[in-house]
Amino acid sequence: MAEVRLNHVEKAFGKFTVIPDMTLTVPEGSFTVLVGPSGCGKSTLLRIISGLEMPTAGEILIGGEDVTLEEPSNRGISMVFQSYALYPHMTVAQNIDFGLRLSKTPADERERRVAEAARILALEDYLDRKPGQLSGGQRQRVAIGRSIVRQPKVFLFDEPLSNLDAALRTQMRVELAQLHQSLDATMIYVTHDQVEAMTLADQIVVMNKGRIEQVGAPMDLYDRPETEFVAGFIGSPKMNLFPASAIGRDDAATIGIRPEHIRTDHENGDWPATAQVVETLGADTILYVTADGIGDMTVRLPGHMRLAAGERLFLTPDPEHLHRFGSDGRRLTS
Amino acid sequence: MAIAATTRRLSASERLRRSLGNGRVTAALILLPPALLIFTLFVMLPLGESVWYSFFNWNGYGAPTDFVGLENYQRIAGHSIFHKAVGNTLKIVAISILLQMPLALLLALLIYRKTPTNAVFRLIFFLPFILAEVAAGLIWSFVFDGNYGVTASIAQSFGAESFFILADRDWAFVAVMTVIVWKYFGFHMMIYIAALQSVPEDLIEAARIEGAKRRQIVRYVQIPHIKPAIIVSAFFAIIGALQVFDIIIPLTNGGPSNQTHTIVTYLYTFGLTRLNIGFGSAVGVILFFAAITVAIFYQRFFMGKDKA
Repeated sequence: MAEVRLNHVEKAFGKFTVIPDMTLTVPEGSFTVLVGPSGCGKSTLLRIISGLEMPTAGEILIGGEDVTLEEPSNRGISMVFQSYALYPHMTVAQNIDFGLRLSKTPADERERRVAEAARILALEDYLDRKPGQLSGGQRQRVAIGRSIVRQPKVFLFDEPLSNLDAALRTQMRVELAQLHQSLDATMIYVTHDQVEAMTLADQIVVMNKGRIEQVGAPMDLYDRPETEFVAGFIGSPKMNLFPASAIGRDDAATIGIRPEHIRTDHENGDWPATAQVVETLGADTILYVTADGIGDMTVRLPGHMRLAAGERLFLTPDPEHLHRFGSDGRRLTS
Repeated sequence: MAIAATTRRLSASERLRRSLGNGRVTAALILLPPALLIFTLFVMLPLGESVWYSFFNWNGYGAPTDFVGLENYQRIAGHSIFHKAVGNTLKIVAISILLQMPLALLLALLIYRKTPTNAVFRLIFFLPFILAEVAAGLIWSFVFDGNYGVTASIAQSFGAESFFILADRDWAFVAVMTVIVWKYFGFHMMIYIAALQSVPEDLIEAARIEGAKRRQIVRYVQIPHIKPAIIVSAFFAIIGALQVFDIIIPLTNGGPSNQTHTIVTYLYTFGLTRLNIGFGSAVGVILFFAAITVAIFYQRFFMGKDKA
């Protein structure tokens, strides 16, 4: 368990700067999720922490120790790859204890650690199989097992669930959360899936174009997004964002309102609108409407709702939940 | 029982009708005969003829009449130069596997990544393989020439007496093997490069994180991953060694005093140039069965296992 600190880290590939200047602290024992759209530099950042990429400038500290120039293996980290990166010619047991064999760990100690990892990950019955004989979820567990036995100070995950189907992803998400609780280790997790970020993280780092947009607890980000980008990125369905002038306000450049903070009515309300598409999900209903003079909007209503496309209705926003953003895209507080 | 049998017969005829209907049988009937015909005409018939001629004392003119049974085979078995040729062929196999392949692998590991510099080196290392064998043999015969060759000038620059390596009974075959390694390592290198490029980068990075050094990554990750390619390349090396001919002819022509023959140059020298077609055929038959045996055993023990 250790804190990870990045001080003014920069990364450029040739003339192309991926990360201009990044300073970030990942608290000891936290589950920190780096989230952002494709190409925002989150995987590069993870690779810099792991030591697979060298930063162009800046320093990386793990547990207070400067590891900027250290080899990946000397940083006390382990990494789970998106592709799992299992050795196809080795059995599950050999895959898990590969690093221990390299470091010449005594055989009994190796066996003990592999058995422990296999127990945690329910892999006991598969230790003699090759990765090719396992399902996607099992392979992912083997990759995690390989991380566990090294007893690292920091676990790194690079989009570990993106190759799994939806059902398995949900299951593995729960398992990862449990794993974090039981190991009590620092974990840094990269994903572009904001649902994974919201459910797993104690701390979310939203990245965009190599810069940090906001760092905070999931609900802080959800309730008080610091920038328009975070407002649009965190939450599903997305927050509705539209020019303040469209509703006759001049105290902001952009107004945001989450889909669940809009009420609907057939007789009266603030914004007249026309229903376009209605998605009935069971627990709630997602309404895609076009508000007159404002534009397309999404509304989330609890329970079922029968509404036909083209039907007229009125929308009323909950004024307490209006988010205001300035012309620079930052949140306005006063 | 009777009903079950009828049902089964019906389903069998149904199967036949379907397989005729889906075009597989038709495709086989159309596509197989030309291949079979060509294979018979150009492989089976000449092979059968060779076997037939090998039982005759025949100079190639007129019809073979002087039937000698297995005498040609007996002469081959007792011929010391044939033993030498087999020994030399085995030496080429050994040098190919023990020196050429490791060398090719080492170079492949150095230059398999796609960079402009590596592309230049790849081309340079591959050049000898593109060169015609006879041309390569001729070039090296000039290099090894004791009067005006490169080796001679090197020897002279060190003040040593110039030497005629290709005329040296003990060293001529070493020179031949050097040329063979030089000529073909690029081919094996290319096989390894293609295979190494297919090793996922993630695997290498995962190994680095686990603490593997460069050497350990090669040994535990890359080589196991390209094992199928190594098996194929070894197969080419062995079969190629059995066929070495056109490098030796311009270099030494089998000499000095028949010390550098391989099985094929032996066949050519003692069978064809001396008009002992029956004898040559017998050597050819032996060589063919040697190659077939190697191929079958190799397939069975190395390549077959790999598929499973």
